[in-house]
Amino acid sequence: MYTVILLVSCVAAFGADALPLGKLPKGKVVMALQPHHDDHTTDYGMGGLIARFVDEGYEAYYVRASNDEKDGSHGYARNDMINLREAEEATRILGMKKVISLNWRNDYMGPVPLDELRAQLILLIRKYRPDVILGHNPWEHYQKNPDHRNVARAMAEAWWMAGYENVHPEHVKIGLQPHQASYLYLKARLDWGLGHTPNIAIELNESQVRRKQQAYQTHRNVYANPASARGVKAALARESLMVPEFEGLDDQEAAVRMEEWHMDWISRVRGKQAGVTFAEDYFFVDEFDHLPGLKAYLKENVSAK
Amino acid sequence: MRERVAYARGSAGLPRACALLVCGLFMYTTPAYAAPPLVLVVAADASDFVLAAGGTIAKMAEAGSAVYVIRVTNDEKDSWGLPPEETALRARAEADSAARALGVKEAISLGYRAAELADVSFSGIRDRLIFYIRHYKPSVMFIPNPYSEYDRVLDRYYTGAAAEDAFRVAALENFQLPHGDVGLAPHLTPELYYYAQPLDPRRKEPESTATFVPRPKSVDIASTLPKKLAAAAALKTSNESTARRLKARLDATGRRLPILDTVDESSIKRLAEINVRGLGTTEEFRYAGVEFRIPRKYR
Ligand SMILES: [Zn+2]
Repeated sequence: MYTVILLVSCVAAFGADALPLGKLPKGKVVMALQPHHDDHTTDYGMGGLIARFVDEGYEAYYVRASNDEKDGSHGYARNDMINLREAEEATRILGMKKVISLNWRNDYMGPVPLDELRAQLILLIRKYRPDVILGHNPWEHYQKNPDHRNVARAMAEAWWMAGYENVHPEHVKIGLQPHQASYLYLKARLDWGLGHTPNIAIELNESQVRRKQQAYQTHRNVYANPASARGVKAALARESLMVPEFEGLDDQEAAVRMEEWHMDWISRVRGKQAGVTFAEDYFFVDEFDHLPGLKAYLKENVSAK
Repeated sequence: MRERVAYARGSAGLPRACALLVCGLFMYTTPAYAAPPLVLVVAADASDFVLAAGGTIAKMAEAGSAVYVIRVTNDEKDSWGLPPEETALRARAEADSAARALGVKEAISLGYRAAELADVSFSGIRDRLIFYIRHYKPSVMFIPNPYSEYDRVLDRYYTGAAAEDAFRVAALENFQLPHGDVGLAPHLTPELYYYAQPLDPRRKEPESTATFVPRPKSVDIASTLPKKLAAAAALKTSNESTARRLKARLDATGRRLPILDTVDESSIKRLAEINVRGLGTTEEFRYAGVEFRIPRKYR
């Protein structure tokens, strides 16, 4: 009886759509396979989850598929270097071990041979042997950025095909064994139509949210631009308004503060939807989800040895 | 808005305009709606069409349809301890016997290398499918649903996208001009089934109420389940790959599944059977029938 009442009040409080809170799977290595320098932490996810994986003992690696030459106002070559450096700094804040840059040309991932990109991902998966892969949802709708769509597609095949001996058998020559990652966490914008519907919420603690905020604003080449704070201040001043929290901050500091609010706000929004303080939402692909006819059977019949 | 279909006689499912046309012309010579005379199934690999649509295909074949399957890839990667060449050969023979178990007349293999469709010319696959569509003149086509989500085998996505376009342009005379010289005429396939295994959590949701969106359709396959089981059992190489990979994963994580304590022919077969039974006795499609192409004002 008690349970029923609790259940009913839960549903009433968070709505029928409240996402279940996910526990992290047991494992040692997590890899994020993403197109760009800054995709480890955005308003729609990941930085907090990476920090939590690290807190729970995982080794974390970041793969940046593009060279990010178009992000920033310093010209292609400099943008590439600055963005890579900032990605290294930001992922270090999250506790990640290494950034591996594939350096494909930014925003030209449309015509890139996907089998070639996938081959690089398979090589890295066999080298680092992740239990978990984080990436962009390849089934997201209305994605206009070809880098996101195509890197996600290459990832969608790489994560399991790396476990097949008949895929790139040449890797065995250098001692790399087939290895399949077992779990996927996919993210995408939630406000872009039907494609990406999260099925799980990951609770974050305060410290994980703080690291996420810091990782985000570390990408100064694209975020936390002093001009944005200057613009906000000027617009408010025209109406004789001001933000008390900006008192004593220069434009750069105020811009950083704004980005921190952004990350804090979105983490609270996702948290509220799941009935906790802070969270991020994902589409989680479990280890046997690719066997829809066997899933229920395995749940019932698999036991510890 | 789900609809159960029976492949018996009767025109209940047909839209008025088409029923009138069909009945008016053929009333005295042909039953209003019998089994479709020719069914063309486009498949990315050996297992997908069996698991997602096998029961429905068998049902049509039983009712008298001539069914042809075109398998786009060669399945060379999906095995355990066999090189790709050997895998492809076995997969071809096994796809043939799976198709036979469903009552399919012929399984054709296009031989594209499995899991390497991403960089294959889209129109290249499409044009080969146009050829077969114009040759067989199907009344029903089955294609992998390219809009289905969360199927990690992207061959099904690439094949479905090419097949969907082939279905459309096979009817248009400005595609593949040389076909006119060899007697292959444009052909419009009246009915289209999009199939997919139940990986997409939203597969039963209507996508839209708009006229030109295929609607969900369920087919009860209880009567042909034995044929679907036999077809799945024929895919020995792929079944062994699934069983051994599952066992390896369980071993590596200190778990066990009693029926895989010994992996042999009988446990592999048993697992494949459990898989088919686990998919249930209903197959879910997106369906675009004749009315799909009749503008609303004429219905
Ligand atoms: Zn990006």
